[in-house]
Amino acid sequence: MTEANLILGVVAAILLVYAARRGKAGEGVRIGALLLRRTAAVLLVAFAIIGYVNVMETGGLIQRWIGPDSGWSGLLLAALAGMLLPGGPYVVFPLIAALYLGGAGIGPAVVLVTSWAMLALISVAFELPLMGWRFTLIRWGVGLPVPILVGAVAQAVWG
Amino acid sequence: MGDRTLWALAAVALLLAGVAWAQGGVSTAVAGLVEGGRLLWLVALQLLLAFLIAGLAQALVDEAAIARWLGRGTGWRGLFLASLGGALVPGGPYVYYPLAASLLASGASVGVLVAFVTAKNLWAFSRLPLEFALLGRELTLIRFVLTLVFPPLLGALAELLFGGLVERIRAEVPQ
Repeated sequence: MTEANLILGVVAAILLVYAARRGKAGEGVRIGALLLRRTAAVLLVAFAIIGYVNVMETGGLIQRWIGPDSGWSGLLLAALAGMLLPGGPYVVFPLIAALYLGGAGIGPAVVLVTSWAMLALISVAFELPLMGWRFTLIRWGVGLPVPILVGAVAQAVWG
Repeated sequence: MGDRTLWALAAVALLLAGVAWAQGGVSTAVAGLVEGGRLLWLVALQLLLAFLIAGLAQALVDEAAIARWLGRGTGWRGLFLASLGGALVPGGPYVYYPLAASLLASGASVGVLVAFVTAKNLWAFSRLPLEFALLGRELTLIRFVLTLVFPPLLGALAELLFGGLVERIRAEVPQ
């Protein structure tokens, strides 16, 4: 965990210096604080969910459905779940972290993130009125196989 | 992030608290909250840094400049520029779809737009620190490396298969 802190700290420091030289450090810190304030309640609730998933007896449910040995059906289920996950990264990442800690395989976990990022129906709701159904269908359609594909590779190589 | 998300999550948390209570009584119901607090404490500093990075990135990125150089290149160069632009644009779908729509109106191709949106979804530089903090280094790195090729690749594929539809797509979108 300290290594992660170090990496993020270095990135933040570089950006901070760069922003300061362009006179935008104050604005950046303010935007960051605003983002944090707006998402703090959601984060707190999301972590309560992670905590419960961790201490509860899930009866191997997560492992059976999307565990390392769940195969193609696990990848498919993760892809569907990813499309249906609601909200932004502040909500979705803690939920996926809870499933990963609770026994989800690396393949299904990668599928969950990728499917949510590319195929989430909640963003399609923004896409349809602004880009039209043709573009939405094209973009969504060419992306459809990607989550399961990368999940299968992740499970095969790192599983 | 609407209030509805918060209420939906709170309902899930309450449901889980109820199940935990049924499984192990008050002590399990409390243990879940304690465990959540412990995990939050573990990543608290990383979360703060992730929010700082996201804020600084948002202040530094000039969306108008991105929109200007997005349309410049053609072929693979254009797809890479579009991907890079998508990766740099901060904010949610209510930010990047209006931007994509204005790019479409000003003459961008189907491939460029698919690359732009897909890179926003998969490369998403300002989201990466948060992913790193919440999902850990291993999962984030594997996910990022495996999806790296797709923004320009899907852009090229979409252009190859559906590039000819661009005028009809443009006509469909309110200017």
